[in-house]
This record gives sequence, C-alpha cells and structure tokens, in this order.
Amino acid sequence: MANKKYWQSFSEYNESEQHSRLAADEFREELPSVAADAGRELETSGATRRDFLKYLGFSTAAAALAASCENPVNKAIPFVNKPDNFTPGVADYYATTYVCDGESVPVVAKVRDGRPIKIEGNTLSAFTKGGTSARVQASVLDLYDTSRQRFPMANGNAVSWEQLDKMVGDALRSSGQIVLLSGTVTSPSAKQVISEFLAKYPGSKQVQYDAISYSGMLLANESSYGRRAIPSYRFENAKVVVSLGADFLGTWLDPITFQRAFASTRKVTSAQTDMSKFYAFESMLSMTGANADERFTHKPSEAGAVASALLNALNSGTATGITNAKLKAGIEKAAKDLKAAAGAAVVVSGSNNPAVQTVVNAINEAIGANGKTIDWSVTNQTKQGLDSEFATLVADMEGGRIGALIVLDVNPAYNYFDGKRFADGLKKVKTSIALSYKQDETAELCKFIAPVHHYLESWGDAEAYSGHVSMMQPTISPLFSTRQYQDSLLKWTGNTTSYENYFRNFWTTRTGSADNYMKALQDGVIEAAAATAPAGTYNAGAATAAATSVGSAQKAGAVELVLYENVAMGDGRHANNPWLQELPDPITKACWDNYVMVSPKFGREVLGVDLTSQRDADEYEVHTNKPNVSVKAGNKEIILPALIIPGMNDDTIAIALGYGRSSAGNDETVTARKIGRAANGAGKNAVGFALYNGATVDRFNTGVTISKVDGTYKIAQNQTHNSYEGRHNVLQELTLQELKEHPTAILDERANELKPWGGLKDFEKEGSPYPVYDRPGAKWGMSIDLNACFGCGACVVACNAENNVPVVGKNEVLRFHDMHWMRIDRYFTGNPNDPDSIQTIFQPMLCQHCDNAPCENVCPVAATSHSSEGINQMIYNRCIGTRYCANNCPYKVRRFNWADYTGADSFQDNQPHEGTGALNDAVFMMNDDLTRMVLNPDVTVRSRGVMEKCSFCIQRQQEGKLKAKKENRPLAESDASVACAQACPANAIVFGNVNSQSSEINKTRSEGRNRLFYVLEQLHTLPSVSYLAKVRNSPTAGDHAIEEAGGHAMPAAHEPAEH
Amino acid sequence: MSLMKYESQVRPPLVVGDKDYHQVTEDIVRPIEARPSGLWWIGFLVSVALLLFGVYSVYREVVYGTGQWNLHKTVGWGWDITNFVWWVGIGHAGTLISAILLLFRQGWRTGVNRAAEAMTIFAVMCAGQFPIWHMGRVWMAFFVLPYPNTRGPLWVNFNSPLLWDVFAISTYFTVSLLFWYTGLLPDLATVRDRARLKWRKYMYGMLSFGWTGSTKHWQRHESLSLVLAGLSTPLVLSVHTVVSFDFATSVIPGWHTTIFPPYFVAGAIFSGFAMVQTLLLVTRKVLSLEEYITIEHIEVMNKVIVLTGSIVGIAYLTELFVAWYGQNTFEMWAFMENRANPFSPYGWAYWLMMSCNVLSPQIFWFRKLRRNITVTFFMSVIVNIGMWFERFVIIVTSLYRDYLPSSWATYYTPTIWEIGFYLGTFGLFFTCYFLFSKFFPVIAIAEIKHILKRSGDNYKEHMDVVEKKHSDELFVEAHAEHH
Repeated sequence: MANKKYWQSFSEYNESEQHSRLAADEFREELPSVAADAGRELETSGATRRDFLKYLGFSTAAAALAASCENPVNKAIPFVNKPDNFTPGVADYYATTYVCDGESVPVVAKVRDGRPIKIEGNTLSAFTKGGTSARVQASVLDLYDTSRQRFPMANGNAVSWEQLDKMVGDALRSSGQIVLLSGTVTSPSAKQVISEFLAKYPGSKQVQYDAISYSGMLLANESSYGRRAIPSYRFENAKVVVSLGADFLGTWLDPITFQRAFASTRKVTSAQTDMSKFYAFESMLSMTGANADERFTHKPSEAGAVASALLNALNSGTATGITNAKLKAGIEKAAKDLKAAAGAAVVVSGSNNPAVQTVVNAINEAIGANGKTIDWSVTNQTKQGLDSEFATLVADMEGGRIGALIVLDVNPAYNYFDGKRFADGLKKVKTSIALSYKQDETAELCKFIAPVHHYLESWGDAEAYSGHVSMMQPTISPLFSTRQYQDSLLKWTGNTTSYENYFRNFWTTRTGSADNYMKALQDGVIEAAAATAPAGTYNAGAATAAATSVGSAQKAGAVELVLYENVAMGDGRHANNPWLQELPDPITKACWDNYVMVSPKFGREVLGVDLTSQRDADEYEVHTNKPNVSVKAGNKEIILPALIIPGMNDDTIAIALGYGRSSAGNDETVTARKIGRAANGAGKNAVGFALYNGATVDRFNTGVTISKVDGTYKIAQNQTHNSYEGRHNVLQELTLQELKEHPTAILDERANELKPWGGLKDFEKEGSPYPVYDRPGAKWGMSIDLNACFGCGACVVACNAENNVPVVGKNEVLRFHDMHWMRIDRYFTGNPNDPDSIQTIFQPMLCQHCDNAPCENVCPVAATSHSSEGINQMIYNRCIGTRYCANNCPYKVRRFNWADYTGADSFQDNQPHEGTGALNDAVFMMNDDLTRMVLNPDVTVRSRGVMEKCSFCIQRQQEGKLKAKKENRPLAESDASVACAQACPANAIVFGNVNSQSSEINKTRSEGRNRLFYVLEQLHTLPSVSYLAKVRNSPTAGDHAIEEAGGHAMPAAHEPAEH
Repeated sequence: MSLMKYESQVRPPLVVGDKDYHQVTEDIVRPIEARPSGLWWIGFLVSVALLLFGVYSVYREVVYGTGQWNLHKTVGWGWDITNFVWWVGIGHAGTLISAILLLFRQGWRTGVNRAAEAMTIFAVMCAGQFPIWHMGRVWMAFFVLPYPNTRGPLWVNFNSPLLWDVFAISTYFTVSLLFWYTGLLPDLATVRDRARLKWRKYMYGMLSFGWTGSTKHWQRHESLSLVLAGLSTPLVLSVHTVVSFDFATSVIPGWHTTIFPPYFVAGAIFSGFAMVQTLLLVTRKVLSLEEYITIEHIEVMNKVIVLTGSIVGIAYLTELFVAWYGQNTFEMWAFMENRANPFSPYGWAYWLMMSCNVLSPQIFWFRKLRRNITVTFFMSVIVNIGMWFERFVIIVTSLYRDYLPSSWATYYTPTIWEIGFYLGTFGLFFTCYFLFSKFFPVIAIAEIKHILKRSGDNYKEHMDVVEKKHSDELFVEAHAEHH
C-alpha cells in the first residue's frame, strides 16, 4: 500500500520524456526577487516592480502598524479559585451608612471586584428616600485618600497596634482626668462603647464638638421646650416657608431630607397646580436664598432684629424696629402669609444665637408650626455639641486640669475659631491620643495616633433621627493598618470582644433575633413606625426676654462679615477631596479656593468695577485675575481675592469656611503629605473671625474693615457670565400668577415659534429636509424640573464618580479646561444695585442627546454618532480631536482632553512638565495607584486628545438591557437609570424610556406639559432632554424683573427661528 | 514720422529696458548661477531658525497635548484655524494669476506668475500644517483618508465640512504643484543648458524631465498648461468656498452665514494679492528685476486689491445689515455685541479688521498712491494683518459668546507655543521661498519671452536703417530684389 502510485494521465503513468519535461517546467521560473540572488549588490540586482511593490507594501503596513500601536497590554490574572458569591465584572451592593461627624446618610455602596466605587442613596430610608449630597457622593474617594494615616504612631514613630495599645493603656491609667473629645455621636452601639469606656476611667467625660455648631438652637429649644434637642422639620407640609439665614437646602442640618420634602411642594403639574411660598431673609446670597420666591437682605447682626420684627409683625401687623423700608415691608408681607397659612408654615433660622432661636421658636408657636411642620416626636440627633462645653474644655486644658485627651476624629486645631488656643492647651495635656483619619492639624499635635477606618471599612450604626437607625457594614477589608475607633475604645476599656461581635450582639439583642439583625444589615435601615407628630410642650417664658435682647443686637459698624459653610467643603473635612474641591460653588461657580464675596456696591465703590456698566462687567468677567482685598478684625488679617456677587447685602461680605488647611509650620510639602495634595494651597482659613458671645460661637463678625490691596489672585470659575440675557430659548421662567392666568403661555409661545415649520406636532419632520426615521424599541429621554433643582451639585459629583470624569486641577479650570459632563448653570436676573431684586435660577446642563445633533455631522471621522435608542454616542478610539463637534455644539457640553489628565495616554511621562499647561498636584494625586481604585471599570478612561461628554450613563442602560434579556422579560423602568437622576435628593431629574407609555418620564412630561420646553428648540436639534420651566411664587420673574430694574438685556422683541 | 513706422501706443510695454531674448535669460538666470548674497544667507538662516522654533512648538503640543495652547471648552479653535484659513487665502492669488489670467490672456501675468504660484504652493503647505497638528491625536490623522481598511471597515463622514477640506486642500495643492512644475520645465532646461558644473547639469537635467524644446514638447506643454489652467480656475473659487463651509454649515451665530463662500473667495484674493505684492517688491529689488516686474504690474495688482477689498467691505456691511434685519437674538448678539461694539472684549479686533481691510485700501483710488512702491509695500502688510484679523474675528468672537451665556468664555490669548507654531509656518514659507529664489527662475523665462515685443522691435530697428536711406537707393534695392 505504501508504494501505491496515483497518476493523473497516461503520460505520467508511462513516465514519458515529454511529461518529465513538462513537469519540470511547470513553474517555469523563480519569482524574481532580490533575495533570490544574494550575491549581487542591491542597486545592480535590478529590483523588479514586484519587489518594489513588496517593499512599499511592507513598509506602509509596518508604518501603519507602528502608528496604530496603542498602550502596552497589561494582562489581568484570573482567580485560581473563584471566591464564592463573587463574579468578576458583576457589581455587589452593600447597604451601609455615610457618617461624617453627626451627619449620617443611609447609602448603598456599589462594589466591583472588591472595590467600592460608587455610593447611592438608600431608598428604604424614610427620610432621605435615596437622596444623596455632593459630599456623600464624593465620600468614596476619601477611602482612597493618599494622605490617610496608614499605621499607628506614638511620639512621631510608627508602632504596632500591640505596642500602641500598651503605651496608651499605661498612659491612660497614669493620667488624670480623661476627656473624650468627639463630634456628635449618633451611633447607639458606639454610645454604649463610649459609656463603658468612660465608666472604666472614673472622672472621665465626653465632650461633643461640632465645628459648625447648632448650640444656639439646642439651648433655645431647652428653654422653649425643655429639651436640648432639635426637632425634625416637615417641609412637605409647609405652604409658607421663611428662612432667616438657614441654608436648609444646602448645608443646614439635613439638606438631603429637606430638599426632597421642599421640592415636593414646588413641582407644579397639572395635578398639583399650587406651590409653596418661600421667603428668605439673609445677609449673603446662600444657595437656599437663591431659591427663594422673595428674598430680603440685612446685615448679619440684624438677624435677631429681623426675627423679633417678624414676631411683632405676626402679633401686631407691623415690623417694629426695622428702619429699612423694603426689609420692613418684606417682613410684614411674610408675616401676613405665615399667618394666613397657620399650621402649614415654618420658620427656620441659621443663627447660632440662643436668643434669636428662642424668638424663632416663638414665631413657630405663633404660626402653629409645632406638631405640623415641626415634629418633636422624632428628633434630629446629628448636632449635639455645645460651644460652651468646648470652651470650658479649652480653659481646662489651658489650666492643666486635663490629664488625657482622646480626640475622636475632630479637628479643632483647624476649625475652632480660636484654634491656636486649643493647640496651645493641647500641649499642656499629658496624654493626647488622636483617633484620626489622617495627620490633620489636631492629630499631628497628639502623642499617639490610632488611625481609624473609613466608613466603608467599618461596622457601625447611626441614629440620625430618633428611632430611625441606619446600619453600617464594611464593603472592603481595611486598606491600611487602621482600626475603627470603637475597637480601640473597647481595647482600652479592657474588653477583648471585637467591635464586630459587640455590634452583632448589640443589634441581635435589640432586634430580637439574628435573622432580624441580618435583615437590618441587608436593608441598611431600621425604621420606627411612623408616629403622629405630637407637639412639643412650649414654654413662652424666655421668648419675651430674648426678643428684647436680640432686638437691640444691631451694631452700626459699616461692614460685617459672614462666615458660611459651602456645599462642598463643610467644616474643612472634605478639603482633600478633589471631586469636592473641583465642584463649583452653586452661587459663585468658583472652585479650589475661597474668596471674599462682596456686593456690586462694594465692587463699584472700592474695587472700581461697576457691574451695571457693560464695559466694566465684560472686563471683569473675561479675566480670571480678581483684585485682592484685606479683611481685618482686631489683630486678625486675611488677604483674599474679592468676587462681586449680586444679591449680597451692600454692607456684608462673606468668606467660606473649610479652606486653608495647613500643617503646623505651614510647610507646603508637609501639608501635602499629611493633609493632602488637593487641600494644599486651596484658599485660606477664615474661621478665626468668628466671635464667641459667651454661650455660643457666632459665625459672623461685626467689626471688620475691608480695603483693597495691591495685587490680584486668579480665581477658577467655570461660569463667568451671570445673566442669560433674556434668552427665552435658553430658559423659561414665569410667575405662579402668570401660569395660573395663562396656563399654556409657554406652550403657545413654542407653538407660535414653530408654526412655520410644522408646529409642535410636526416640527421634527417639517423642520428639516432630511428624512426622519422611526425609533422603535427604547428611546431614552430626560426631564429636568427647574423648580426642583436647587443647585447643590450632588448630580455633578455623582456623574464624576460614575463616569471617571477626570479632575483637572485649578490651573486647568482657570484655563476653562474643566471636564465636568454635568454642570449647573446659574443665572442672575434683577438689578445688581438692588440685592433684594436679584433672582437666581439653576439650570443643570448636560449633553442634550439631540436627535438631529450638530456635533454628529461635522465630525470628519464619524467618531460621534447616534444610536437607535436616541443616544448621542462618543467613540473615543475613533476620535482624532479636531474639536469641531465642541465648537458646533450650541449647548457647549462637549469636553476635550487637553492634556493627559488620567495617565491613560500612550505617550510615556508626558504629565509632569513646567510652563504652559502645567498640571496641579491634585491631578497627580488622582493618578495614584491607590486613588485609581475608585475608577469605574465599566467606563473607559479617556486619553489625551479625545472629546468626551455625557453618555446618559450608557453602561447602565446596557447593563439593564442585558439583565432584562437574561431574565427574558421586557425592559422595566427600574432597569436603567442615570447617576445624576439617582443622586438628586430633590428628584429634579427624571430619566427613562420615552417610548414606554407607562414610564415616569412620560408622566412627568405630560403632567408638566404646560411648563415643558427644550433649550434652543428652534434650532431643530431635537434634544432628548426636556426642561420644566421655573415657576416663581413672586410678583416678577426673569427678564421682566430686569426690564423693571432697568438692567441691560438685548432689545429683542421677537426671536424668529434660526433658519 | 513716416508711414512705414507708425506706432500706436495702446499700453505701456510689459517689459522695459529694451531687452532681447538673450538678455532676458541672462537677467533671470543670473541669481541662480551666482553665489547667494549675504542678505540671502541672513534671510535664509532667520527663516530656518523660525522653522525650528515652530517644530519645537509643535513638538510640545504633540507630546503634552493641545492644552499647550490656550484654547478651551468654549473656544475650541483659535490661532490654529485662523492661521489655516489665512494661509489658504494667501495661496489664492497665485492660482488666480496663473490660471484665470492665463485663460483671459492677460499678458502681464507672465512677470509675476512664477513667484505667485510658488507662493501658492508654499502657502498651502503652511496652511496644511494647522488642521493636521491641531488634532488632539495627530498620530491618528490618517483616519480622515477614505481608504478600504481593517477597522470595520470604518469610513469617513462625508457630511463633514472638515472632510471636504481634506479633499479641497489636497486637490488644490496637487493641481497647483503640477501647474507650477509644468511651467518650470522649459526654464529648468534653460538652466541645465547653461550649466557648467556637472552636478548642476545633472540636477537640472533630472528636474527638467528631458525637455528638448522640440515643437512637440511645446505643443504638449501648451495643451497641458491650458488643461491645468482649466482645472485650477474652478479651484480658485471652490477651495475657499469649501473652507468657508467649515463655518457656514455650522449652527454657531456668526458662522452660520450664507454669504460666506463669495466673501471668503474675495477675501482670499484680496489677501493673496497683498502677499504677492509684499514678496515681489522685495524680490524685484533684491534680484534687480525691476524691468520685468514693473510699476505697471504693481498698479494692476493694486487695482485688484482695492476691488476685492471693497467687495469684502460690502460683505461685512451685509452681515451687519442681515443681523439687524433678521432680528435673531443670537445673531444680533454675535454681530452687534461681540464684534461691532468697540468696547466689548474683542471689539478692538473687529475694528482693526475693518480699518485694515475696508478703509485703508481705499487710498488705491488715487493713481499716484497706486504707483508708489513704499505705500504699496506698507499697504500689502496692512491688508494681510487685516485679513488675519478677519479670520480671528470670525472664529473667536463667534465662539466665545454663543448660545448659552453660561459658557461665555474668559479672554482667549495665545500661548507662546501657539505663536511659535504660527512663526514656524513663516519659517517654512520663507525657507521654501529663499530656496526657490536661489534654485529656480523666479520669473517664467519662456513665458516672458512670449510678451517681449521682439518682432516689432526688430521691425522698427530695420525700418530705422531703411529710413536713413535715400529713396532712390531704396528704389534700386527694391528693383534689384525683383531680379
């Protein structure tokens, strides 16, 4: 068989000569090539056309290959043994609780491959109902803070936990009085741990210190209601709200809850045609004041006078003691409305003065708020610190009466108004222990540092509202050699139980069974049964005296200073969070710094900038250099740039707290290492200007002088123009009166505008010569209610976290290179010279996902295209960076990677460089291997030179669709959401499938159709984002107010469609 | 004056100085054969230095990103595209001179067409740098080429005006280069034939493609020139029309304007002629070519300048009128506030543009100023400054304050690397131009010989001899010829 021969022809079979010849010549000649004749030189070898083509082909292919080579491939190594209940690439969600001092918010942490990467609100919470704030959203980044204290320290040296425990144990036994200095502790189990600890050391005590204290309220409530507590506020029941300088939508007490409740009274729909009325009386322009229907300003020292005038006006009809006619009329009007809405009205005050708060209590009694809008059955426990107790402690420290001070993650050396006195006192304390997250200003002064966990690494609980407990469980094993403070205290008490077990036993006992405990842990919350709100027992005794005392608390000083807390920085704890540092302030739109907010009057008279002159205003806004001013009070002086903000009281200036973090010695490298690279150099600390009135700390100063000094300072703002110039196509606002009288005003205006091009119904088809395609299946859309957007920025940070939006640092924001996909545009209307006339509007702006997108057709390489589901997509690896799309975007929402912000570039070492475009340290901090653990693996990290923008969180839609597909069911409403909508505490943003008749978005659009508009609709961009117009429950709205005030606006009576 | 030598002076001669064919060749080829002057070296080295600075500027931008420039989220194009449009515009005069004037049989073009065409090519080379290097990921620039590929295959987006630019500019460059080179062939052959050094003979021999001057060569040369002129003529109109589409087809107020195509073409010719003036005034002086590039040439070009400048002026006024007449809020703002308001942040740029482009060229209504070399030189620079600002005004003032006031930008000023890139293209341009003036005939020798009225002059010289003779003598001669 092996020798069997096959033949094809007879000649082959016969092996004829002819066949052999033919077979030999079958391939007559070698293909010509240079290599075939290696002996010859190249130029004489007569390279043929084929060779030439081969060389050409090879070199072109090689060049093309070389040119298209991307990053080196980093191999991921799979698990050898897959852990149970864990699938790589599938996220797990753990209910836990965001805790920051007293503030606690029930949240759900998204954990991907063992790393928490995103925080969502816990929808099971009776209070927040799934809402979050910018700080909560950003808190996940703190877990990966590069400046965390990573190991225990004693006397400046690293020690082991065993050594530390021994040393601390010895020290505590031999010290005199032990004081545990903490923020407000709301955790029931931790309270028990603390009391056990205190019991172990007789004579020891706990002092609670709130950097932004509410002592005034606590004391006032004690005298009015006999309870040193804060009630819960029910804004959802209020038809009239008066805020006396309380930033309840931004920072005051529990803004997440308040926003949701307040927003529910503001959403005017066909079903709910009325809305609440909100008056604000304040000194500076706060975020909350910016959302007021009517707003009146006064000097901060007049807060008491205003409160007592309001009380008088309620009783007698006249606001006695107020000389300013406008303010007086405002108070009387507010009083009239409050009276009319008795039982459905509430007055809140941001003052920290007990007398003022006592008067406010009297007002609330007078309008029947107690039991209706103010609920004493559930108290807010998040603020319990008394300024006087802390002042006593400082005095005791100075007097050497304190033997040991355990500082439980508070930072009075930085944020106490007299931080230096505290620091000096600390030196006299024999044993100082910091249970601290990092070596902050206070911890670095302590002998021992026992570093604590991040809340995402911790067990625990929090009872922000009495009876409403939120549970905490670790979502990642501790990154560093840290230990949660409860464990440390248990150790030092001599208890060998771990806190985890302690906590489990505690709650198993309380909930009755291990199963109940597990359920509570899973749900994250234990909610008390809803109690009917019994009124607190009011005691009017103190009110009269208080009213008299505050009525006279008015000084004649020319300029007064307000120290305020902004939504991002709080008391300064968040200073090293780049997401929060880069979050623009809702009012000033500035980031990475604090500054002096001054009124236009001050700008005109002292800075020489007249905002009513267009020439001055232009000059002022197009340059980032802002004039420096010196603020002096007593021997304290601070030099900061001034920002002119309309709506500021003429005689008031304001500085934000929480900036100017700095280690002792003010060494920048040390500060960067200990406190953080993002916090380093951001702003200045102004807390020293606060005044102690004997009982509480007043966060204002009546005795300041302010003057212009030489030099300027660059302020990074990502919005510089303040007016929307009466452009109806951009923003629609109207008064409630107008809406009631003419409900279809906006609809009619739109219909009239679009009439020549098919009207509202056929505009899509008739407005364009091109064919319109059907979109079966899903069609994603968004609706944003301008009445419910208060400008807090939770959505912005949520978007940053979800979509790996890079932090660019101050230098780049200064150059208008900010990368935020989601921004909140803020416009003022009114007369800059009259602070009371200023109205503010917030408009969240993101990619509008136009169905006829101007960006799509101009891209030469089709890097941005439209999906069949109506999403305007960005294909990063197709993008060559011509920026034409960004230029042609009427909404200016596209963001270009001007530099290598993420380290995702194929060019090596191109981030650090000097000169033009040098990046801030914060950018490098964000590129640290530790910090990069926060990145969402579902979203590409963009490299330099490509365009990016909002994607409608397409990764979430995709995940939702796959989930539905796997479960073999149609897509449900709950399958897909976007980060911004989910984060919004006020539910201002609704997202969903427009093609689904039952969807929330359809309901919102149809119920709100009288307010519905699209931005720049007449351009025929066909946006997928619709807005619901701002309705003001005030006599004027928007550009009507401008015209009345004689401000400048483009004299355009009618705007025909752009065509 | 006898009847035999009656001369009607319809127009002044195009070449003065009583040249004969040999003298023409001598005059024009002399600079090529002589050693370059010290002035040439200085100019050349300065140009190379500028070019190198440009290369470094671009290197910074490529390595560290477009953030090396001060462009931002609102103003996405600034100096880059301004310079691009400016350089493309400058190129237009060359094509107009070489193509359209050829078709219209304008004899005077021969004195200036070679240099103008060279200028076109160099200007387009400079222009092309900007859209390439302004890309965020320039190493992916080949994505704009529509060729079968393995990426999907992914095709380019034919809707995008930027893609049209790719085609328009590359076509323009190719045709201009061919046209220029075709014209050069006979002259290169002349240089070759005169060459004494071996390398020169070899080099110019290669470059002249074996031109022998045979009738067949000439015939083909003429036909090809005509064909290329025919191809170039629509390009004069189309290229800047396409460039203007980058803006006109957008939705940005100030860009979205139907008047742009003719307005851009007029502006391009305007700035192109100004640049030709600048270059030729220097060239004729340095290379002593005053007899070929005469004051007549200069005057004719000044007439083109005042004509196109006025067209541009009308376009500006039309824009303003339409903005007012249309009563569109956004367009009104773009024209009345961003531009025409002299106190707005960029108002100065608009009024600089207006005075340079519209007001100042009006002095060319005066013949005396048209024929004044100093004034012409000064004006040619002014016009190009004005035209640069025109593009800057269109691009930057439209973008920096468009629809949503929230995005209205801070002041855009270039960084050193943006300026460096621009200076670098000057370096490229003049490096090329210096090399060109050294190695190539800056005036078309063969073509200028066409318009040398040599046959007429020969006749006149002959007649001078004849007139000196007595009539009898003449009669005898004539009679003798008959036998």
